[in-house]
Amino acid sequence: MLGAFEYVVWFLGALLELTVVVCSIAKGSFRRYLAINVYMLAASFVNIVRFKILFTYGFRSSEYGYFYYYSDLLLTIGLYFALMGLYSYVFEEMGAEQYVRFGALLLLLGTAGFSFAIVQQSSSRIMGHYVLDSRIMGHLVLEASQNLYFVGLVLTYVLWGAMLKLRETRTRLIQLVLALGLYFSVFAASYALRNLSTSLNGVWPYLIPISGCLLPLAWAYAFWRIPEDARIVPSRLAVVPR
Amino acid sequence: MSRKLTVVLLAMLVLVGAMGLKTVVVTHGDGSLVMANGSAPLPPTPWKNGSAPLPPTPWKNGSAPLSAKLG
Repeated sequence: MLGAFEYVVWFLGALLELTVVVCSIAKGSFRRYLAINVYMLAASFVNIVRFKILFTYGFRSSEYGYFYYYSDLLLTIGLYFALMGLYSYVFEEMGAEQYVRFGALLLLLGTAGFSFAIVQQSSSRIMGHYVLDSRIMGHLVLEASQNLYFVGLVLTYVLWGAMLKLRETRTRLIQLVLALGLYFSVFAASYALRNLSTSLNGVWPYLIPISGCLLPLAWAYAFWRIPEDARIVPSRLAVVPR
Repeated sequence: MSRKLTVVLLAMLVLVGAMGLKTVVVTHGDGSLVMANGSAPLPPTPWKNGSAPLPPTPWKNGSAPLSAKLG
């Protein structure tokens, strides 16, 4: 059963996601960062529906389970497009937006194909032949969501490397990318630590939901406190040999 | 054309890197999931129907050789 802590953090996370959109609209950046705002709006909407399903059917119901994992895949795709939006901003001065779009689509299709191949392989190994039933569809959704998460993780680090190389100075953009990198990294690090050390088992049920609030918090801060024309000296981000 | 090929190469490199990273992480993992979408509580997967062992597949009838296809 869920306790008061889970509900409070969940509600806080949903509230912070809406705050990102409100801050973005208030500062006139909604259209400029459209992918990020659409992702945050979608996440808020999904959270509301998840609340509704949870209260109607219960935490261990298949309704909540199916909706959670299917909507998670859609949100991961949304986050992927938000990340690609950040790529477009970084490379906009080079006129490489069409190549970014082409690469993003290719990578998304590649990830989907890879996930499908894994599920097809494992299902035919178990069942003797390939049947697309709801269990296999569930595995496909889970596999695609996980794979896209790792693709997002790698892409964020690649983007940060490109920003350092290009000596990006736009403070808000830097804050948005670093927040995303931190968000992905915290989940990956907590997953690794969870498997390495069993002595901290009591910590993860508290830490992981709180980690979910990090991204909307950092993005809301970026929209609210950092103006679009703010610049940061590149030498403060990395020591570049002259 | 060469730019597009470069994009294809980079996309494939990222895909291979990400899948390699995932394989390393998941192989040494406890089977739990890495989810990164908000603070909603993670439910048990509904398509894992309990802890009952998988039954043998009913269409493998012993060690008898497969008959040739008719027609």
